[in-house]
Amino acid sequence: MLKNKKLLVLLSLVLAFAMFAVGCSKPADQGNVDDPAPVAKDTLVVGQGADAVSLDPHATNDQPSSRVSKQIYETLVNQNEAMELQPGLAESWTQIDDLTVEFKLKQGVKFHNGEELKASDVKFTLERALQSSHVGHIVGTIDKVEVVDEYTVRVSTAEPFAALLAHLAHTATGILNEKAVTDGGEAYGQKPVGTGPYKFSNWVVGDKIELVKNDDYHGTPAKIQNIVIRNISDNTTRTIELESGGIDIAYDIQPTDVKRVEENTSLTLLRDANLATTYIGFNAAKAPFNDVRVRQAINYAVDTDSIVEAVYQGVGAPSKGPLGPNVWASNQNLEQYGYDVDKAKALLAEAGYENGFKTSIWTNDNQQRMDIAEIVQNQLKAVNIEAEVKVVEWGAYLEGTAAGEHDMFILGWVTVTADPDYGLYALFHSSQHGNAGNRTFYANPEVDKLLDEARVATDVAAREEAYKKAQEIIRNDAPWIFTWDGENLAGTAKNVKGFKQHPAGHHKLFTVYFE
Amino acid sequence: MHRYILRRLLLLIPVMLGVSFIVFTMMYFTPGDPAVMMLGESAPEHEVARLREELGLDDPYLVQYARYVKNAVVHQDIGQSYKTKRLVFTEISSRFPNTLKLAGLGVLVAVILGVPTGIISATKQYSLFDNIAMVLALIGVSMPNFWQGLLLIIFFSIKLGWFPSSGFDTFSHMVLPALTLGTSSAAIITRMTRSSMLEVIRQDYIRTARAKGQVESVVINQHALKNALIPVITVIGLQFGYLLGGAVLTESIFSITGVGRLMVDSIKSRDYPIVQGGVLFIAITFSVVNLCVDILYAFVDPRIKSQYK
Repeated sequence: MLKNKKLLVLLSLVLAFAMFAVGCSKPADQGNVDDPAPVAKDTLVVGQGADAVSLDPHATNDQPSSRVSKQIYETLVNQNEAMELQPGLAESWTQIDDLTVEFKLKQGVKFHNGEELKASDVKFTLERALQSSHVGHIVGTIDKVEVVDEYTVRVSTAEPFAALLAHLAHTATGILNEKAVTDGGEAYGQKPVGTGPYKFSNWVVGDKIELVKNDDYHGTPAKIQNIVIRNISDNTTRTIELESGGIDIAYDIQPTDVKRVEENTSLTLLRDANLATTYIGFNAAKAPFNDVRVRQAINYAVDTDSIVEAVYQGVGAPSKGPLGPNVWASNQNLEQYGYDVDKAKALLAEAGYENGFKTSIWTNDNQQRMDIAEIVQNQLKAVNIEAEVKVVEWGAYLEGTAAGEHDMFILGWVTVTADPDYGLYALFHSSQHGNAGNRTFYANPEVDKLLDEARVATDVAAREEAYKKAQEIIRNDAPWIFTWDGENLAGTAKNVKGFKQHPAGHHKLFTVYFE
Repeated sequence: MHRYILRRLLLLIPVMLGVSFIVFTMMYFTPGDPAVMMLGESAPEHEVARLREELGLDDPYLVQYARYVKNAVVHQDIGQSYKTKRLVFTEISSRFPNTLKLAGLGVLVAVILGVPTGIISATKQYSLFDNIAMVLALIGVSMPNFWQGLLLIIFFSIKLGWFPSSGFDTFSHMVLPALTLGTSSAAIITRMTRSSMLEVIRQDYIRTARAKGQVESVVINQHALKNALIPVITVIGLQFGYLLGGAVLTESIFSITGVGRLMVDSIKSRDYPIVQGGVLFIAITFSVVNLCVDILYAFVDPRIKSQYK
């Protein structure tokens, strides 16, 4: 009996050790050291900070989903990394009149389900997008989509809309196949069908999405056979995973990790200005911020250079105005407010606040924004303004700022289309107060007029002039402290080549190859 | 015994109703509109309104709750995620295996480290071993998991390259998260085992056993341990139940797609159906683990069995 017991214990130990050894061994696909020739790497692993929500472009409008959709779907027109418009599924387009653009589709384009791309798919897609509560606003100006013949389609707007092409380059307008969407039903977002260089293969929910090269692609084929896009939500872990070789590309490296990646000889850090801006808004509907002098005074009292240095470790740049340098018609001739406490005090005295006042700065629980709030709180003490920092949970934050309960608040904006209409209208037009984007409740009839005119103008020079003028007025009216223009930071392994960052953040992976 | 188990299982019904009502009420009154959260900070008013209608968020509070209970009871349907449109059941069940593995391995590490250390510490009270063990236990309890996890990653993944730093596919992926979770639970178990053993080994029957000339190892392992185990099992059960609810920080650090992270993400994005389903699920697993612990008592101590009627 005792012997049996000992034997049992021994066997259990051997079994446990064997399991451990098997578990610790590298998976077979990583190659065997005894192999005579190493197998060429054919899988690119990318890490981003969240899982996609849905791969139905009309069911969501979040960055992680767009980044995956970009590889699967194609739009009528493309915006390259310089934000220039280029042919996409439409090989050419003509402006028929002020309201209508006619697109000639590329012929012989196949969807991943074998169906051929037809004008009817474009009509179906755009009309479906219009019905979507997530992306309806991106195509909202479209009035009619008309099929002329199998490969020709006309898109009309109710009134002239100069930014139409930029909006049709948004990943939310990726062309869908009507049959695939109908067949997919409610689950379409989990089995997407596009025309892009990669096909959807598998989705381990919350963990990773796998794509495989589309061999029937109509354009330049992708260079790597498989792509795995992993969800690594913790920023530090994502960088560590890049360092330890678990992933080939890490998106959104944090400013605090920049040095680590730069100094690592087996990694490359990519830094490119993006389309994001971070601002500190004033509730201009409320005293004392309804007085432009107070808003200007605070702009002088806050040293944005020190914020960029301390919070963003020198990544990005202090903003000059409401639009970052990558946005078309961005007015980079505007004068930055600059740090001038005396000027700030003089303006406050003029407005009747020489003894300062009490206020609050709202922020959500984003670490960088909380840091900014603390710095601003400290700097405002110099002009006798006592600001309380209120950290509000994101949901409550959006609700509170939309309802105008706040005094000052910190928020960001990404002008994804790189067209000033996207970056100014929602944020500064008086019709957009609250949830729609204008959380400063700023209103200036002159700005409204310029934004309205530029939105419908077809003359490029006139548009540019109107936008530049609007930015100048906004800069002087100071509904924001123009704080920070962002930068995209990505880290790649040294052998990853052909990777370029797109300012809008949805980077192409089909040009990437291993050296 | 069977009747006891059945009765305990039936008690789950009011527990679930109570829990679902409380969670529903809390989420309902939490500021933050799910439609705004889903559409983002730039959503036009009419689109928010359209989505609210689609999701049925405009109905009165009690109507929404009644609809939820009715669907759950009549159609066994606890809804679908607002965000991903996947079924709540699918979302949770696809993540549960990872959570179960993580919790199981964590508790295993904790028991392997904690119970023997506790026993030795008790039998050699105030010895060098006892002092070192207690200091380590104190560190284990106090050290935040996220920090410990990062230290393990830096040492074992980056410096030594032994284990991967994230993911949860193979056994090697599980080692570091299990150690991270296990060591803090081990500390609690060590302290509990030690104090429970100390109490038991001072009792008369242990002195009697020793007086009979029984070998010390038999006295400890057969006479003392069994009696000292009851509170230890309770703590192990509680730890296991707690870990099944999701070890959010450990899951985040090691990028493990478990129930904890799903819950936190869903609370942030006001994905009510997932939060609701998740809390119900955690309540059930916690209750079942507790029931198992109670049943286990009966096997360890036959005197308790007679009380289960």
